[in-house]
Amino acid sequence: MDFSLNEEQEMFRNYVRKCLNEAGQTMVAREFTSGNTSGFLKLQRKLAELGCTGITISEEYGGLGLGALDLVPVLEEFGRAVLPGSYLETMAFVVPLLEKYGTREQKETYLPEIAAGERSFSVAWVEPNKSYDPDVIACQAEVKGNSLVINGVKTLVPDGNHVDSLLLIVRTADKSVNGDGLSLVLIDVSEVTNLKTLSSLDETRNVTEITFENVEVPMTHVLGEVNQGCSALKEGLLYLHAATSSVLVGSMDHIVEMSTEYAKIREQFGQPIGRFQAIKHRIVDMKLDLETARSLSHYANWALDTNQQDKEAAIYSARAFATEANIRLASHNIQNHGGIGFTMEMDCHLFLKRARFYENYMGSISQFREDVSKGLRWSDEKPSFQLTSK
Amino acid sequence: MDFSFTKKEEKFRLELRNWLEENLPTSWPEEEEAYISFLKDWQKTLAEGGWAGITWPEKYGGKNATLMQEIIYHQEMVRADAPPTINYVGIHMVGPTLMQIGTEEQKERYIKKLLTGEEIWCQGYSEPNAGSDLSAIKTSAVKDGDKWLINGQKVWTSYGHIADRCFLLARTSQVPGKKHRGITVFLLDMNQPGVEVRPIVQLDGRQEFNEVYLTDAVCYDADIVGEVDKGWQVMISLMLHERAGIGAEVFTLEKQFNNLVAMTKEYKVDGESLIENATIRQKMADLYARSRGAILNYYRNLTNTLKNGQPGAESSIDKLLVSELTKEMFEFAVSIQGPHGILWKEDAPFNSQWQEKYLYSYGTTIGGGTSEIQRNTIGERVLGLPKDLRA
Ligand SMILES: Cc1cc2nc3c(=O)[nH]c(=O)nc-3n(C[C@H](O)[C@H](O)[C@H](O)COP(=O)(O)OP(=O)(O)OC[C@H]3O[C@@H](n4cnc5c(N)ncnc54)[C@H](O)[C@@H]3O)c2cc1C
Repeated sequence: MDFSLNEEQEMFRNYVRKCLNEAGQTMVAREFTSGNTSGFLKLQRKLAELGCTGITISEEYGGLGLGALDLVPVLEEFGRAVLPGSYLETMAFVVPLLEKYGTREQKETYLPEIAAGERSFSVAWVEPNKSYDPDVIACQAEVKGNSLVINGVKTLVPDGNHVDSLLLIVRTADKSVNGDGLSLVLIDVSEVTNLKTLSSLDETRNVTEITFENVEVPMTHVLGEVNQGCSALKEGLLYLHAATSSVLVGSMDHIVEMSTEYAKIREQFGQPIGRFQAIKHRIVDMKLDLETARSLSHYANWALDTNQQDKEAAIYSARAFATEANIRLASHNIQNHGGIGFTMEMDCHLFLKRARFYENYMGSISQFREDVSKGLRWSDEKPSFQLTSK
Repeated sequence: MDFSFTKKEEKFRLELRNWLEENLPTSWPEEEEAYISFLKDWQKTLAEGGWAGITWPEKYGGKNATLMQEIIYHQEMVRADAPPTINYVGIHMVGPTLMQIGTEEQKERYIKKLLTGEEIWCQGYSEPNAGSDLSAIKTSAVKDGDKWLINGQKVWTSYGHIADRCFLLARTSQVPGKKHRGITVFLLDMNQPGVEVRPIVQLDGRQEFNEVYLTDAVCYDADIVGEVDKGWQVMISLMLHERAGIGAEVFTLEKQFNNLVAMTKEYKVDGESLIENATIRQKMADLYARSRGAILNYYRNLTNTLKNGQPGAESSIDKLLVSELTKEMFEFAVSIQGPHGILWKEDAPFNSQWQEKYLYSYGTTIGGGTSEIQRNTIGERVLGLPKDLRA
């Protein structure tokens, strides 16, 4: 048995870490929140040069042809730095969908550019006052000859103002009529006219709202089959949530480090606060959460790459656990720091706010738990033994 | 057992309710400066109506209110959504302390002005290296002729940017091995060249606390509260007054819970009210039990105080329970708003009032003594557990 990332993966982590160190780690996010994106854009180019943007893209289209597990160290490092940007959506949602459902033309158009770091994607899914339940999607796309005409509103689109393209989820038919009635559309942000940035609790990601009024795109921009979008989405979500778990683990890793280091140097009552068991034991519990989340997420990504039977349960249990633990850790981290933890000066707040961003992103904790139960077929299998009353 | 109020108490309630109906401002300004002068005006209105410092003796502008009347006062203020008391430190801490141990001159000089909000107070205790352990303060006060020259740095000073006066802890002598000795309380004039205030941005984006740099700031003998080097005793009596403020927090918790119930009925995701979701309902019922528990605990502690004439150490249970529960409740409120709960300000559900309260609540388990310090106090003073080893 060998449950560890391999040497190349760890080596790649080191390159990424070095690159982020040079950029100032969380400084990039801090500058981003104050409206200065130059550091972030520069870093993005460096990370692309390093090969980060090609990891999961097949070699034929200029990538490295690697799997979800190879993304793990990169995503963990990004989580540690609360890095802005839509690397997650691009690499762990759009790329796997393009690889699997894209036409030759679509792959040729998008994949090499993504691999070169020249194109990024975000996802336009959720609508005002609605959840991520695919059934409630109302944004309409009507087929007119060789085109789709789109009308409707998408909101909470992360970084809609920074990315080049969107994966847009639209309704092309009534659910009852044909398949699930949803279709996935690849659309350039330049074709969108009505985009507004919303204020967000987590300023390290720009949340945008997009209104579509008779926006026309050629049918060739539909990814996968028309009216069959739902099953593709479900598949894409496996990649996305496995990857999100890794980002969360990265954040937790940094949080535990922050609390530990602070508890060693901060003195009150003539001793380091880490000597107080109220603090020491809490940090240890945080460490347990971190390591549990790490194991769950590493396994989840491996299970995805190797198509294990329990991959759904593995991915969604990792995502549910890591999401909740990350919020808990970010909160504890503030408390462990005392007054300074309650300021914008320390990084504590960046991690808390990002933790809230992921909480209900592309699902919810209770939905993830339902997905675990579905993955394990708890409700449709007969119990393997019978309880008898005597 | 009896949860009713006497006729006299109900009459008091009605009197206040009527007064509030006539005097409560209808709109609150948004902009920072305007908001502060609005709060000062409100404080003045309260004082003029005899509704500030109600427990104080009449000669200081109070009503000689009983403990039960004070409870009713907090209930009604919370019920009416009255604006916060800008001179919280002055009215709830400095005023009562001066009445108890201040000189006649100090009472004359400060009490009326703090009641009317003419002079705003802040408390200067914490320093970069003295937070939970206040006895570690380093800010020094040295006698120079008839002056005391004060040097050092304070931090997390709430209201520091708008305060006229500071209730300041400074070290006046070094007693080896006895850090609690040699501390003196000064009433510092904030409007002087030796005092520099720099705001600190809180994690919720607001600037309510500050760093205060003291460089040869001047105080006089007349500004000393109690005796030189005996400031620690003064602090202890002041903190007992601070405890009285918990009533307002208990009733606010109750009100916020009711608001949360209303929110879960009103807020719809996919056309369904949140409260129709069984998981949410379960947690709401749990929060109901625990917030009711906190309120009833408070009533029980109150009964003890009424019977014994003074509050017991149990009141620190109230602070711990209420602040932790408040934090959890606001976290839940944001969480259940689903994906749209990540929005902020005018883009967020209910103009982000839940998001803002949530972020702010992280300060409530740190300020006024952290939850860990509260647990130590309860462990040691209520349960009689052995004390921590302290250097
Ligand atoms: C919103 C807000 C308003 C404030 N307003 C004021 C003000 O107006 N004036 C003022 O003087 N101060 C004010 N403070 C400061 C406040 O009193 C201190 O932040 C608080 O006492 C903690 O001190 P610290 O920040 O130095 O944290 P530290 O004391 O360094 O604490 C760090 C961590 O160690 C823990 N810890 C420390 N000692 C122990 C122990 N013995 N056992 C177990 N755990 C321990 C703490 O609980 C905390 O988790 C305010 C703080 C906040 C957040």
